[in-house]
Amino acid sequence: MPSDIRLVEAGRMGRVAYARVAPNEDLVLSIEKLCAAEGFRHAFVRGALGSLVDACFVAPGGGTRQVRGPAVEIVSLAGEVRPQGDGSLRAAITGIVADTEGHVHGGPFVAGANPVCVTFEVTLEEWLPAAA
Amino acid sequence: MTEFTNALPLPRPRTLVHPGPVGPIRIEHRHANQGRHFRLGLEPGRTMQDAIIEPLRQRGVEAASMTILGGRLERLLYCVAPPDPTGERVANYTRPIEAGAATLIFGNATLGKNGRGEPIVHCHATFVCEDGNVRGGHIVVDRSRVAGVPIAVLATSLDGIELRITQDEETHMPLMRPFAATGAEEASHAL
Repeated sequence: MPSDIRLVEAGRMGRVAYARVAPNEDLVLSIEKLCAAEGFRHAFVRGALGSLVDACFVAPGGGTRQVRGPAVEIVSLAGEVRPQGDGSLRAAITGIVADTEGHVHGGPFVAGANPVCVTFEVTLEEWLPAAA
Repeated sequence: MTEFTNALPLPRPRTLVHPGPVGPIRIEHRHANQGRHFRLGLEPGRTMQDAIIEPLRQRGVEAASMTILGGRLERLLYCVAPPDPTGERVANYTRPIEAGAATLIFGNATLGKNGRGEPIVHCHATFVCEDGNVRGGHIVVDRSRVAGVPIAVLATSLDGIELRITQDEETHMPLMRPFAATGAEEASHAL
């Protein structure tokens, strides 16, 4: 295991942000943009619901799997945002969606490939790591 | 040296055209300086809507994001959102579908206000239907009723933010949007 991966990071929760994301914005990138706009460097997704045009997941084996809509309903979401070594913010988001028949599908969302259909409501809680 | 990354092509994301004018603001957002947290037990026999709204109202919470944990519902109704056959919208909710006595797996909900200022809950969840199939969708919270054991909910209040459903010109759908709560300091932002 690389020595720079800390298994425990102490810290506390800070501000809570709520956003309404409009059609055709990407699910993953919009969470990163929200953090940039609010000045959050680290955050956890605390709530999310809405719909996607189509959903695109990373498939086992490294390919992708697209669930066709519209609309594909976002029914549960988990994820976090962390700063990268180059200063960029990266959201890692996994979740479950329901298709137009209510059948459920899930996995890690592919950044840039999950456009919002009607609306996406998301709540992020800022994570403030204690100084290492 | 220029760096290149080679990868398999992604499925091409689709951009949909909605019936109304495209609004200039794509991410409307606000923040609360500190979330207050509440653990609720949703009262058996009540609708999910009443079981969420009433205890939060008693504590002065008017806007909140919630994580709904697993539990039993004596009846669950849900909607999915296929393309709108009338063309009036890109997609629209179906009539409520009966899932019967269902088991919630996990859900998220938002507490806000409707156009008349009354509290309203928007909830999406996954669940096991009475027939054993796992399904998901928009939960009809005013007709879905908690069974014999309280369902645990973690609620995070969004103090200083008013969440209100307004008719959206672009999509022709009633949507939840964040506003400054009355008396809150002005902290509106938009992307």
